[in-house]
Amino acid sequence: MSEVKIRNLHKSYGSVDVLKDNNLIVENGAFVVLVGPSGCGKSTLLRCIAGLEPISSGTITIGGKTVNDLPPAQREIAMVFQSYALYPHMDVYGNMAFGLKFAKTPRPEIDARVAEAARILQLEPLLKRRPRELSGGQRQRVAIGRAIVRKPQVFLFDEPLSNLDAALRINTRVEIAKLHKMLAATIVYVTHDQVEAMTLADKIVVMNKGRIEQTGKPLDLYYKPANLFVAGFIGSPAMNFLAATVKDGKTLELADSQHLNVPLPAASKPGDQVTLGCRPEHMRLGGDGTLALKGTVDIIERLGETGFAHIRMATGQTIIAEVRGDPGTSPGASATLSLAPAQLHLFDASGQRLG
Amino acid sequence: MSSPHSAIVGMGRATYLRLLVFFLAPAAIVYTVFSIYPLLATIFNSLYLYHSETKSYDYVGLGNFTTLLTDTTWSVPFWNAFRNNLVFFAIHMSVQNPIGLALAAMLSLPRLRLRATYRTLIFMPTMLSVVIIGFVWQLILSPLWGIAKLFLQTFGLGFLFAPWLGQEGSALITISLISVWQFVGIPMILIYTALLAIPEELIDAATVDGLNQFQAFVWVKLPLILPTIGLVSILTFVNNFNAFDLIYAMKGALAGPNFSADIMGTLFYRTFFGNQLQLGNASMGSTIATMMFIIILIGVMTYLFVIQRRMQRYSF
Ligand SMILES: Nc1ncnc2c1ncn2[C@@H]1O[C@H](COP(=O)(O)OP(=O)(O)OP(=O)(O)O)[C@@H](O)[C@H]1O
Ligand SMILES: [Mg+2]
Repeated sequence: MSEVKIRNLHKSYGSVDVLKDNNLIVENGAFVVLVGPSGCGKSTLLRCIAGLEPISSGTITIGGKTVNDLPPAQREIAMVFQSYALYPHMDVYGNMAFGLKFAKTPRPEIDARVAEAARILQLEPLLKRRPRELSGGQRQRVAIGRAIVRKPQVFLFDEPLSNLDAALRINTRVEIAKLHKMLAATIVYVTHDQVEAMTLADKIVVMNKGRIEQTGKPLDLYYKPANLFVAGFIGSPAMNFLAATVKDGKTLELADSQHLNVPLPAASKPGDQVTLGCRPEHMRLGGDGTLALKGTVDIIERLGETGFAHIRMATGQTIIAEVRGDPGTSPGASATLSLAPAQLHLFDASGQRLG
Repeated sequence: MSSPHSAIVGMGRATYLRLLVFFLAPAAIVYTVFSIYPLLATIFNSLYLYHSETKSYDYVGLGNFTTLLTDTTWSVPFWNAFRNNLVFFAIHMSVQNPIGLALAAMLSLPRLRLRATYRTLIFMPTMLSVVIIGFVWQLILSPLWGIAKLFLQTFGLGFLFAPWLGQEGSALITISLISVWQFVGIPMILIYTALLAIPEELIDAATVDGLNQFQAFVWVKLPLILPTIGLVSILTFVNNFNAFDLIYAMKGALAGPNFSADIMGTLFYRTFFGNQLQLGNASMGSTIATMMFIIILIGVMTYLFVIQRRMQRYSF
């Protein structure tokens, strides 16, 4: 069992609280991805799990053992860094064997483990090379190899693909997914990249300002974001938000006095301030007008088969809607946007999901 | 194939050459006048013998060098100075550079406070005039009014005190240590800078691999800064074999007692310019200067061709 449990984790640098009351369970064999805007504390959380940063309060258990006071090497974790952090003065073999040598692992055992990792990662022909004689992707594989040979309970990745070019990033992403299956490894993975998060994760953890905003399966976060932050963060282009007031049991009044008939939760009272959210991919240009917004076409971005229309409302706010094929309109024209009723999100005044 | 200059800047060959001369000339002229010419003149001088009676120069080939190395009037002081200079260098290598390394390692500790203050204080003596340093240490160590004796007595260690600067056995070591104190900031800063260039993540990786701070220093940082340590060593060597001022400031040209602190620089000074009853001898002075040049050349060449070639520089 290599489950990671984080309970009431708090971390501050002096008077700056970087992580506030974080609770997280990483199940055995799960691939958990931490996402969030820059500076929200993803790396710090990962480094706390690794033991590279002391925590201020709370507990971290790995495989049922509380590791708060254990140094990184005794936590049975392995970490892959963004810059790879390979030892420049050692060859590939040396890089992978270094930690094992320090742990006084018998030589035949070291050789066997390194050979195994090299086989999995196709590093066999490169064992005698120094890091600077390797390409970015090869260095990345060595860094992963160095993690594998430790046979850790948990793998920690901090933005491992961000130094690779686009094509290699997709390749390596797939490799990591395969590796996860093959090793049945428990992984905590930090990334900026939504696609990485959505494709790799069993569970995504969205962080903001040192707090965990929501934890859930990728599609759950997409279809049922718990609050405005998660709704705006997951998905690209981001979800459109419209400020609105509840008129009666089934009507919303928007800031520009348009009315929309939307199924509202029973608890909502006339006069409540709410935010209506709708993703660009759940909007359509034109339509019958039962659930429609009116505005003016600002620009149309064409990406090929699909594109994005920027529609300006009377309030000056711009709404982005996905268009497929020929949009049949041009900048300056007035436009009607149809919303898919099943794909609307409502948030209360404090930003929490309604219904 | 087009020549590189036109390919790069698209100008005519003549213009390019004129520009080349224009930019190179100032450095070339200064270097020639102040370095190459004096060096050649010195070597040239060492091949002639000056006769003070007739005020004339005779070409003697390597005769001066034979005299310097075999005639006991010259060879005894020469080998004495050479040996002392080796001791001087050995003390710097074994005391100054390890301490500089240790200080740099401590300065780069992640949780150190007052870092800038330490750095400035330790580097301070390097910027002071040698004359002041010599004078201050003479005062401190003076058996008559120096505070060193009182200081030791305060701790009941007065019996340890000796007039270190005045004894044949300890004068050179004492001066060497003062020089170490003065210059320890230089290896410290050079090594500190090299340490700063090592990325944090590398040390994090070593920590995950089970190394503590000290082990990470020995097994990861140290191998990566070896080129800098090599550079520091060769700088120390060149500076030590060119040293003169501190010993002259503290002990005068005679580098006493009984030449016990005499090094190549002071020997050269006495020989070339003369001192008290000794007349200046430009020929023998130049011969000693040329020997100093050869010794330093051998040292630097050995470093460049034997040691540096085996070292790798790392970029991160
Ligand atoms: N040593 C430190 N002292 C003080 N504050 C720090 C320190 N290290 C990090 N922080 C702060 O902690 C916060 C979280 O940093 P962290 O590196 O975890 O962010 P991140 O989510 O990984 O960001 P990014 O996506 O840019 O890597 C930041 O606001 C940062 O300024
Ligand atoms: Mg980070």
